[in-house]
Amino acid sequence: MSRFDPQVDDELVATKAWDSRLLWRLLGWARPHRRRFAVSLVVLMALFAVQLLGPYLWRLALDGPVRGVSTGEVERGAALEHLLWICGAFLGLVALQGWLSYLEVAQLARTGQGVIHDLRTRLFEHVGTLDVGFFDERPTGSLVTRVTSDVENLAELYTSGLVVLSFDLFKVAVLVGLLFWIDVDLALVVAALLPLLILISLAFRGRARDSFRHLRARLASLNGYLQEVLTGIRVVQLFHRERLVSARFDRLLEPYLQASLRALFYFALFFPAIGLTVYGIQAAALRVGGAQIAAGSMEIGVFFQFWFYLSLLVNPVRELGERYNVLQAAFASAERIFRVLDTEPRITAPLRGDGRAPAAADPDLVRFEEVSFEYVPDTPVLRSLSFTIPRGQTVAIVGATGAGKSTVVNLLQRFHDPTGGRVLFDGADLRDLDPRVLRARCGLVLQDEFLFEGSVRENLALGREGVDQDGLRRALEMSSAAELVEGLPGGLDHPLSERGAQLSTGERQLLAMARALAGDPELVILDEATASVDSRTEARIEEATRNLLTGRSALVIAHRLSTVRRADRILVLHHGELREAGTHAELLRRDGLYARLYDLQFLDED
Amino acid sequence: MTLLLAFFRRFLRRKRALVGGFVAVPATRLADIGVTLTVGAALNALQEGEGVAAVDQALVWMAVWAAAQALSSFCQRWLIVSNSRHVERELKQDVFDQLTRLSFGFHDRSRSGDIVSRLTSDIENVRMFLGPGLMFGLGSLVMVPVTLVLLVRLDARLALTMALPLAVLGVGFRWLTPRLHAASKDVQEGLADISHRAQENFAGVRIVKGFARETFEAERFAEASRTNRERQVRLGRERGLAHAFSISSSQVTFAVILLLGGLSLIDGRLGYGDALVFVDLTLKLFWPLVAIGWLAGMYPRATASAQRIQEVLEEQPEVRDPDDPRELGKLRGELEFEGVTFTYPGADRPALGPLDLRIPAGSRFGVVGPTGCGKTTLLHLVGRVHDAGGQLRLDGVPLSELRLDELRGALGYVPQDSFLFSDTWSENVAFGSATPLPDGRLAQLAELVCLDEELASFGDGAEQLIGERGVTLSGGQRQRTCIARALARDPRLLILDDALSAVDTETERRLIDHLRAAGAERTVLIASHRLSSVRDADQILVLDKDGRPLELGDHASLLEADGWYAATWRQQQTRAELEEL
Repeated sequence: MSRFDPQVDDELVATKAWDSRLLWRLLGWARPHRRRFAVSLVVLMALFAVQLLGPYLWRLALDGPVRGVSTGEVERGAALEHLLWICGAFLGLVALQGWLSYLEVAQLARTGQGVIHDLRTRLFEHVGTLDVGFFDERPTGSLVTRVTSDVENLAELYTSGLVVLSFDLFKVAVLVGLLFWIDVDLALVVAALLPLLILISLAFRGRARDSFRHLRARLASLNGYLQEVLTGIRVVQLFHRERLVSARFDRLLEPYLQASLRALFYFALFFPAIGLTVYGIQAAALRVGGAQIAAGSMEIGVFFQFWFYLSLLVNPVRELGERYNVLQAAFASAERIFRVLDTEPRITAPLRGDGRAPAAADPDLVRFEEVSFEYVPDTPVLRSLSFTIPRGQTVAIVGATGAGKSTVVNLLQRFHDPTGGRVLFDGADLRDLDPRVLRARCGLVLQDEFLFEGSVRENLALGREGVDQDGLRRALEMSSAAELVEGLPGGLDHPLSERGAQLSTGERQLLAMARALAGDPELVILDEATASVDSRTEARIEEATRNLLTGRSALVIAHRLSTVRRADRILVLHHGELREAGTHAELLRRDGLYARLYDLQFLDED
Repeated sequence: MTLLLAFFRRFLRRKRALVGGFVAVPATRLADIGVTLTVGAALNALQEGEGVAAVDQALVWMAVWAAAQALSSFCQRWLIVSNSRHVERELKQDVFDQLTRLSFGFHDRSRSGDIVSRLTSDIENVRMFLGPGLMFGLGSLVMVPVTLVLLVRLDARLALTMALPLAVLGVGFRWLTPRLHAASKDVQEGLADISHRAQENFAGVRIVKGFARETFEAERFAEASRTNRERQVRLGRERGLAHAFSISSSQVTFAVILLLGGLSLIDGRLGYGDALVFVDLTLKLFWPLVAIGWLAGMYPRATASAQRIQEVLEEQPEVRDPDDPRELGKLRGELEFEGVTFTYPGADRPALGPLDLRIPAGSRFGVVGPTGCGKTTLLHLVGRVHDAGGQLRLDGVPLSELRLDELRGALGYVPQDSFLFSDTWSENVAFGSATPLPDGRLAQLAELVCLDEELASFGDGAEQLIGERGVTLSGGQRQRTCIARALARDPRLLILDDALSAVDTETERRLIDHLRAAGAERTVLIASHRLSSVRDADQILVLDKDGRPLELGDHASLLEADGWYAATWRQQQTRAELEEL
């Protein structure tokens, strides 16, 4: 842990200061919701109009009845009546403003969340299509961050980021126009100082962006470690190393704190800088306006209106920086999200054809032809491996740890594509098949029996069509799991917790067997599935499997020779090479690698 | 509120920063008011016909106030919000530490996605409320009364009338707060659900793909996302109501100022400058009110989150250190079971027991039986993963009277699931030892678990990264690394939970020989599905499928007893004989 920080470089996505390509892409996601966005804009416009009318009413009141009485032009009674009318109009505006303010918030939430829902489901769907290798290369926690907090950052972007920002710009333009309409001299002073506000925002944004990126990267590595410790909490506690993991967590917290303090520092500087500039603008307006009032060339009501519009103007300009921050945080998140969306799965359905193998074109269901594979360049895991699984036959692969047995499964399920040679299923190159069609025809039982949160039934059926009650019962019988399921409260409807934590490994494995069998697969793939089931259950499963395998093909990977003894053909793998092949009796007669493995096993059980 | 106060106490620990911040907050507001009053005075002077000179003098004062405002504005944010960041760090550490302390029962019950969100978004919600929230809240607390006093002095009748909309605002928020609370709690739960689903899917990607379940899972996820959207929209509506409410009440205030202020102006009781001060102050009163609205929106979220954090912090570990622990002295490693039973919470019958056993120090003990018979549970009881019923003693001392560190420090545990960290191989092994490993010990351990050759073939040898960012170890390599980790602490009691199932037979044979040679004085507990792994044990316990003891004895006596063990053994042997043909 001390030497590496797995997530940081993945999180440190370099975003440009202003990435218009990214922005266009983000806008693309908003397109389907453009009507909602339009409604939001209309609401904001209306709200703005109402805001503008307020100060105008003040001017009407001050320069109308109030000044009228003071100069003696208007009678007090008439002035009061006039004032009451203006106040009535003002109250009407207030009601309108309240209603529009409600609409603003509610509508923006509705709009933003609509886009977010699209993006989130699309992202999840896309991640689902990515290669298994993609998942092996990165911590699960950082992928989860993509669909959770990164997507949530974008929610802000679509609402306060895009809609309010573009509207703020519009507001600024209109207000500056109005200031010029009211008084050119005053407006010129303001217009001269406004760029200063914008400059401060600009100077601020680069640093804010950097510090945000670091902050998020640190947070991701913190969460990754947390996730890991939660997974291994038993080991941590039984080894009594709570203090050690706590110290490591602390070591990850420290840079996170530093990064957040740095971001905070820029914020703390930014607000006073903006504040000072605003005071500067107000002072200039007071000086110029004051001189005009003193000279009698300006009505005081006009000055009031000007002063109000000025305060309306300052807020959107000051918030440009804030909006920009939202935009920045969102850009960094968007960059990471798009990076995932842009990752093309190498393993996909072919462009041409329906991705189904021509029916029964080949007597061999599976054929490996000169297959080589390496996860890392120049470290071959499989070397020129050739073998076949004839229809209806069981092929077993044995070999020492690291011989490449699991890799054969990975290639056969097309979790990876071979780096050399080809794998044929039903006479078709796997690369010409839709991986989903291929996988649906296989029944897989992995070493790591993964169960999902949900009922036993859901876990067995896994949403596959054509898996009915009878099918489930049959599968349970065949895998000797029927008794286990009947013993659970609720039977098939018994809820399993995350990863099936309340079941024992053997029980999970029985369910995993049943799950594979429920799909009525053409090819059964067992990867060491019998390793930790007790021998009685194992015997039952073996028997059931034998029944099942009549008319089916199977690839069995196990270390226990007894489980592969009955196979039609046994392949002995060593360092990724096929060393021996034949039936149990043939291989024993040959007195080679298999015979050695067998002797050891025999010694063990005698 | 009491909940948040508990967290607020953490804020008070860094007193100097907080005092500075508490001074800066009102200073910021008062300097701001100072600017307004200066401008108002200048306008009044203009009305009196004092000319531009009065304006110039006001500008000097404005500069002073502005500088003071800028300085204190920096200080308030820097001091208070950075304090919140420090508290966030402490809180994260505390919750994390608590999570490492909580018993397995808790972790089995909880979903990890939910726990992660408590440590991330919930802490963030509390931090936002107690950091920036506190800053703005305190600012409002200063701003509102000061402004009101100034307004009363300008025009008492006018100012008092303004209190009416404020009262309405207060009543309104009382009504809105519970609604906001409920809506935001729903949203939090929705987000936790999304996180959980993503977590489960990404971790189980091989099964998802292997069963072509991508579309099905995507639909389920879309459903969760849709629920979240609906809840967010509902929360948006509630927030909209709160927003509309605060805006309307402040605007009604302006209407009142316009009417009554207009009357005062007509009657000449108020100067133009005073009117500007009145309006400007009301405007400045308006932002604190918005801040209060913002806080009111944040408050329910923060309390809901505080509650979720507090739940974790207050959760009592079911397995704890005794109040008055007993010292073991030099550990021998003898275990005694007397009427030991264990029942999982909520289950109606025991998963294990009753067991009466004595495992002498330095002996080898094997436990076998059908799947789900409680083998793992039995091993767990020795490490006090759960507390057992009956008496379970180590060297004559009941486990519950021992300190956990003393008990667990004596154990070398090899779990069934071969959990390893994404870290270097050597760090993973060193994890087992409370003290740094001496030079050469690592190589010795690698050799002991027959991993030395494979380790040499890794690019970085023992310093090779394994797991998510490094090389993927095979099941057998993982199991052997776990054994090395357990041996690194040179334990008195070695506990192997089906720990060799993925190791190939040749390696297993060598490894068992090594283990035997390296630790003759060690007490060894082995659970296994294969009888061959326990046949050398001094005692073998056979459990039936309900966790009850069926047979006990050594290999020879169990064969003689002709029960489950003998039948299973014959079954395995028959198979071996068949293989011979």
